[in-house]
Amino acid sequence: MSKRILPLALPLVVALAVLVLVPALLQASGSGYLFRVSITAMIFAILAASLNFITGVAGLLSLGHAAFYGIGAYAAALLATQHGVPFLLTIPLAGVAAAIGGVLVALPTMRLVSIYFAVATLGMGEIIHGTLLNWVDFTRGPMGIPAIPSFKVFGLDLSGNLGSYLVVAVVMLASLWVLHRLTHSYYGNALRALREDDQCADSMGIDVVRLKGEVFAIACFFAGVAGALWAHTTGYISPNDFRFGESILVLAMIVVGGLGSLPGAVIGAVLLIVLPEALRPVGDVRMIVVGCVMFFSILLLPKGLFGEVSALNLVRSSFGGGWKAGTARQSIGWR
Amino acid sequence: MFDAFFVQQLVNGFSVGLVYALIAIGFTLIFGVLNVVNFAHGEVYMVGAYAGVVLITALAPPLVAVVLFVMAVGAVAGFGLERLAFKPFRRFQDEASLKSKAMREATLLSSLAVSIIVREVVEKVFGGAMRPVPFESQLTDPVQIGELSFSTGQFVIFGAAVAMFAGLQFLLYRTRIGLSIRAVANNPLGAKYVGIDTDRTIIATFVVGSVMGAVAGILVALYYGSVFPTMGFAPGVKAFVAMVMGGLSSIPGAVICAIFLGLAEAVATEFLAQGWSEMIAYGFLLLTLIFFPTGLFGGARDRV
Repeated sequence: MSKRILPLALPLVVALAVLVLVPALLQASGSGYLFRVSITAMIFAILAASLNFITGVAGLLSLGHAAFYGIGAYAAALLATQHGVPFLLTIPLAGVAAAIGGVLVALPTMRLVSIYFAVATLGMGEIIHGTLLNWVDFTRGPMGIPAIPSFKVFGLDLSGNLGSYLVVAVVMLASLWVLHRLTHSYYGNALRALREDDQCADSMGIDVVRLKGEVFAIACFFAGVAGALWAHTTGYISPNDFRFGESILVLAMIVVGGLGSLPGAVIGAVLLIVLPEALRPVGDVRMIVVGCVMFFSILLLPKGLFGEVSALNLVRSSFGGGWKAGTARQSIGWR
Repeated sequence: MFDAFFVQQLVNGFSVGLVYALIAIGFTLIFGVLNVVNFAHGEVYMVGAYAGVVLITALAPPLVAVVLFVMAVGAVAGFGLERLAFKPFRRFQDEASLKSKAMREATLLSSLAVSIIVREVVEKVFGGAMRPVPFESQLTDPVQIGELSFSTGQFVIFGAAVAMFAGLQFLLYRTRIGLSIRAVANNPLGAKYVGIDTDRTIIATFVVGSVMGAVAGILVALYYGSVFPTMGFAPGVKAFVAMVMGGLSSIPGAVICAIFLGLAEAVATEFLAQGWSEMIAYGFLLLTLIFFPTGLFGGARDRV
């Protein structure tokens, strides 16, 4: 009996902490600023988890992730302000828009590897940022899009601090759960094979090209969802929110947390959002902190704060019994 | 179409292209030797420009002195950069780890981190806004030749680019250190076996590349008349594009492609708005990667 209950313990604790404990504490503190910081941290947790799926798990170093975040944010903002689409629809639609963008980027860059792929995504990211900035008729260019409605569903107003927090928290948990299921499965194993040696994976019968396209579509979907949440919670977006610097910030998060580790990505996101805010009294040193944390973590902790191996062990022991050694004392792998 | 204005644009594009070429040479040298991308190269360019401007503001020395000072700053920057962002990751000396994927990605990220720190520190110290170069020192005096008007900066950039390119060829093909740079680029382990100090050669490469980047920075600062902390990013990426287009380890190829990019951007401003023409380089990058994965002037190389 306990074997069946135990695997659910960790997810339950996490869900309770995120959905009950943290909002209760924040509500008790009564500070809108703390709510804002936690919402930002959760949005970046989705972003970091999605970039981790491309860069950590599938090994494709992407330097243009902020562009897909931007596509999602603009899709949500334009749908909500110009067509009055409710947020329940704009969030998935923003994800789909970003996923289409991701596939369009992935198609031509598919056969590039390592640094060439990284630079191609950097170029793509700059092109998308430039388009958001210069296509004034459609995106209003540098003026940005103001007055994006907040969350409202079925006459229920969720635009307050607590309401926004809960919406973002639920979306984050759902996104992380989906990414967790994809990462820690046979599918994830195929992606890790792709990362280690794509030619070898190809010769073993893994459809490398299809897999790369799917990885991009899935990860960009969640980046788009994060963008939509950002647009709805801040109410104003401009191309400056989606520059190369943001791509690097997200990359720093997953490097600090540990490439390939989903819990690591979340830890990195929380750390790199909360730490600069905590250091605010010292002065606005946000990007210096990001740079230093990134540099020292590569130098001193090449595996990250919560490396991939620890993450896989945690998942093996705490999530679902399917990965435990079977009756024949034989590991049956990942399902 | 070929009126004076268009030719003028071409001339401007050519000088921008030469600047990209100066940066691209440093990129290509470092890539050729270590097979890693130095993302902090654009910051060396920026640091060179700031160092020069600070010196000019303080002392207003003649141009030659400024360039010499910037060269020294560039050399120090290149040395420090190599020690800080590259050396700690060369823990093992065998060829497999010198050119391994892990090493490449670790140094890529560490140079990126160093570049963020340098840029932000400069922004903290000097402010994020454009900082004008004292007017007397700007290289913007017009020089009228027939219908065309050049500025002194264009001649200085052209002269400096030719001089540095010639100097580099001399260094690489006529000196011992050049010989060892070429040897390490060709085969690091083999170079080590025949008694070349690989570590010293790598430092020399960084110093040479960074000196060129820093000089490019100060010349551009004098030509455009201002410096700002993010000035290194766009030229750095474009120099990288030129390197990829030129075939990665080919210095003449990178130079030709850099000049081509500068011309293409200048011509594009004829037809496109300023913001869009900035993106020409990225478009060329993607086209090259898709259709000529080995670059336009490169020989055979590993899988891209």
